[in-house]
Amino acid sequence: MTGAELLIELLAKHGVKDVFGYPGGAIMPIYDALYGAPVKHYLTRHEQAAGFSAIGYTRSTGKLGVCFATSGPGATNLVTSIADAMMDSIPLLAITGQVPTAAIGSDAFQEVDVLGISLAITKHSYLVERAEDLAEILQEAIHVATSGRPGPVLVDIPKDIQLAQVNFKPWLAAEDYQPTVDLNEVAKANTLLKEAKMPVAYVGGGVHAADAQDKLMAFLNETQMPAVSTLKALGSVLPDYEYDLGMLGMHGGQAANLAVQECDLLVCIGARFDDRVTGNLSKFASNAKIIHLDIDAAEVGKRKPVEASLIADLHDSLPLLDHPQTGESWLTHIKAMMVKHAWRYDYPGEKVFAPYLLNKLSQTMPSNGVVCCDVGQHQMWVAQHMKFNSPRNHLSSGGAGTMGFGLPAAIGVQVARPDDFVITVSGDGSIMMNIQELATIRRNNLPVKILVIDNQRLGMVRQWQQMFFEERYSETILSDNPDFVALAAVFGIKGQTITKASEVDDAVQALVDSKGPYILHACIDEQENVWPLVPPGAANDQMVTEVKK
Amino acid sequence: MKHQLKVEVKNQSVAVERFLRVVRHRGFSLLQLQLEAIDDKYFVNMTVDSDRPIHLLTLQLAKLIDVHQVELAEQAHQQAI
Repeated sequence: MTGAELLIELLAKHGVKDVFGYPGGAIMPIYDALYGAPVKHYLTRHEQAAGFSAIGYTRSTGKLGVCFATSGPGATNLVTSIADAMMDSIPLLAITGQVPTAAIGSDAFQEVDVLGISLAITKHSYLVERAEDLAEILQEAIHVATSGRPGPVLVDIPKDIQLAQVNFKPWLAAEDYQPTVDLNEVAKANTLLKEAKMPVAYVGGGVHAADAQDKLMAFLNETQMPAVSTLKALGSVLPDYEYDLGMLGMHGGQAANLAVQECDLLVCIGARFDDRVTGNLSKFASNAKIIHLDIDAAEVGKRKPVEASLIADLHDSLPLLDHPQTGESWLTHIKAMMVKHAWRYDYPGEKVFAPYLLNKLSQTMPSNGVVCCDVGQHQMWVAQHMKFNSPRNHLSSGGAGTMGFGLPAAIGVQVARPDDFVITVSGDGSIMMNIQELATIRRNNLPVKILVIDNQRLGMVRQWQQMFFEERYSETILSDNPDFVALAAVFGIKGQTITKASEVDDAVQALVDSKGPYILHACIDEQENVWPLVPPGAANDQMVTEVKK
Repeated sequence: MKHQLKVEVKNQSVAVERFLRVVRHRGFSLLQLQLEAIDDKYFVNMTVDSDRPIHLLTLQLAKLIDVHQVELAEQAHQQAI
């Protein structure tokens, strides 16, 4: 068999049923091997979107996500989505075609040093230099992407190696380095848990990566410990958990941020003290001792010293924690804060109020529906006002914050979960970043729903210009937006525009009831901001809830 | 603060690029570098300098797939892979 045929066969052997990509000169043998193969290829209309669709596919299922691109510009177009996967620890396999081995280094047509570019944005990457190494490299690449702390792996395959005759050689993974939990640290952690009067669980994306929601909920249900979540963790704490405080951080809820600031013990479960979470680091949870559970030793003590660390898979470490009952007085205080700072939806105006709209969508859509966000104000409103029962059902570009993520990610989710309700919630800025993917929806008759929350602004940047740049609205006014419903109609997608609060309930119901793809274009007030907000450099208890005049 | 590190890396040119990139990106400047290829490994001795604690570098280097061992010379501190 050829190298190209071996790639496709290996993917099939690993249970990969779907891949996303875009053909070109240096990857033509692989596309030839795909012709009639059991692995189904989805043609996106930009390589970046292929990467995001593969990310959506893996984040919503736990299966490996795979994307293909040709050499040169095809590979460089993948860079953003690979970087996104790196920041969010997503198991993505990127296969790029490369110019023939003999031409590498000659500035050949569509030649770029993809291996060099990949170093900063992958967990690991390979240039296949000998045909006989191909089978081993591909198997190792899949293993690296999916084991330990997951991450993107790129394999750059020159065209002559794709065409070369190769043999399949089974590759046995070297025994994984499995960090062993230090029992002294477990003892320290359990002493801290026992002594704590005001503990809070700080839940991160590691719970999703480890597929450890059951272990997390067992710990929380036993201890009744109040829980805050990072953006990536949303859905990990089940919505009916009595002490679920929701998201913390820059746009976190007030009760969540205040609880963390007041707590005397912070149990960090698969999170990394990201700057958007901590605000001013020196003032973050400054009264708290910290227990950190993570599979990646490099995350422990990276930004914040800890008192005890359990470095292992959360499946192994979470059950080692004792379950002391959280004290009544702390829980009473937490409950009071939850009531005092509950979200309000009684917006006085006649215009569409995005938090109400999203909360309505959350209540109306099927409980196993998936929301893929773009990046900006709408992303934060989704995080604040929608509830999820699994982190696989809330996909948001966390670490990288990549505009253009939502639509192609939703396409990947719909391919992976054809019977589930899938919607991208986007803004009028973000949706235009990968708008060409409407063609992918049309080509594959995918019933992806689209909600565009339109304030005719790059809203989050506008909000910062209003608050911190003296209302100098540099390049954030998008009053020349296209007619989004008409644009979608060109691709055979039905929909409607709403402008009034009174239209929201019926419009959300129509969106949810629609059988095929559908776009709901909701126009909101351009002055609407995301509250609360922790200003840059401030502590998380210094939340701002309105623009100071 | 200056630190001497001994690193064993897979004998591939990209492996050296990869760990040197991490040294720079994590905020450490390179003061000295010696590299010798023996069989299938590169043996690297290097001195780095930074205001940041050295564990922020050694733990990141130890994570790299091509890096077999990172040893902090002056403290005989070893990160097994």
